[in-house]
Amino acid sequence: MTPLEIVCGWVENTSLSMWVRGESMLAFPTILSAHTLGMGFLAGTSAGIDLRLLGVANRVPLPELAKFYPVMWAALALNFASGTLLLIGYPYKAFTNPLFYVKLSLIAIAVYLAVRIRNQVLLQPNPDAASVLRAGRRMAAISLACWAGVILAGRLLAYTYTWLRVGMPNNF
Amino acid sequence: MFPPFEEPEFAAQWELWIRGTFLHLFVQENGAWLWPTLETLHFIGLSLLFATVGVFDLRVLGVGRAIPPGTLHRLIPIGIAGYGLNALTGLFFFSGFPEQYFYNPAFWWKGTFMAIAGINVAAFYLSASFREVKLLPAGADAPFGAKVIAGTSLGAWMAVLVCGRLLTFYRPPFFH
Repeated sequence: MTPLEIVCGWVENTSLSMWVRGESMLAFPTILSAHTLGMGFLAGTSAGIDLRLLGVANRVPLPELAKFYPVMWAALALNFASGTLLLIGYPYKAFTNPLFYVKLSLIAIAVYLAVRIRNQVLLQPNPDAASVLRAGRRMAAISLACWAGVILAGRLLAYTYTWLRVGMPNNF
Repeated sequence: MFPPFEEPEFAAQWELWIRGTFLHLFVQENGAWLWPTLETLHFIGLSLLFATVGVFDLRVLGVGRAIPPGTLHRLIPIGIAGYGLNALTGLFFFSGFPEQYFYNPAFWWKGTFMAIAGINVAAFYLSASFREVKLLPAGADAPFGAKVIAGTSLGAWMAVLVCGRLLTFYRPPFFH
């Protein structure tokens, strides 16, 4: 047994993991619904700000868009919690899929970009200055691409895993 | 989990008709790559709806009050594009596996909330609400009626998303 198999096998046998995988409607269906709602508000709100920077609705005052960040942070917290529960349900399935690491990396980049966009564009004294806006546009374009990548990788996790649980290969 | 949905022993006329369309065969034959692609586009479409309609609703409800809602309304065409993308990918889903949707209770719940969202859109644009909100200056609080419509919009789209997510729990696991 590899160390990953030992750790994941132990997690899979905890009662929390079994509850997540179990028959309760409050478990997997609810957690997955919450995770998708969080995705809508996190990727959605961030994408809305990106679209403004890229020139859609360009009369929206930029500093005020910072007021939408608490919505994003609440959605990120919801998805961190729901994502952790999904991971506790099927740890080996996630950790043996390279796309899981791609997804997490893209989320990290997208969140980093959101913070940078707020600090270096939205909250600047002159956010509409050409040089500030040019940097903002570049970050907004990368941010949109990252969120699309997060959604693609996240969706593909359901179709590309090689192991469902420790010792249980996926038979497509 | 949820009890699996029940379908009739023999396919109904409408189902046989769909099973004879090119779109049905196209989805059935290319499911391995097409289905995950459609799913991804469907999720991107819903995110665009939340990015535009969701942000607009939040402003009407009071988030980012210094933004005049009229300026934010320019985002809405992107949301309509997202909705169009989801209607199109949804048509592919339904054509590929009609019985997986038609006999699925979550599908009808989803349709119900889509109808509520649709009536709500009509109420917004056909009543005085849209004109009132469009003229609101920076810092102004939206009228109560507009807030009710914005809250209904946000709630209905969230319910549509949840019902869409629950579709999969009434049927075989291929369709995650």
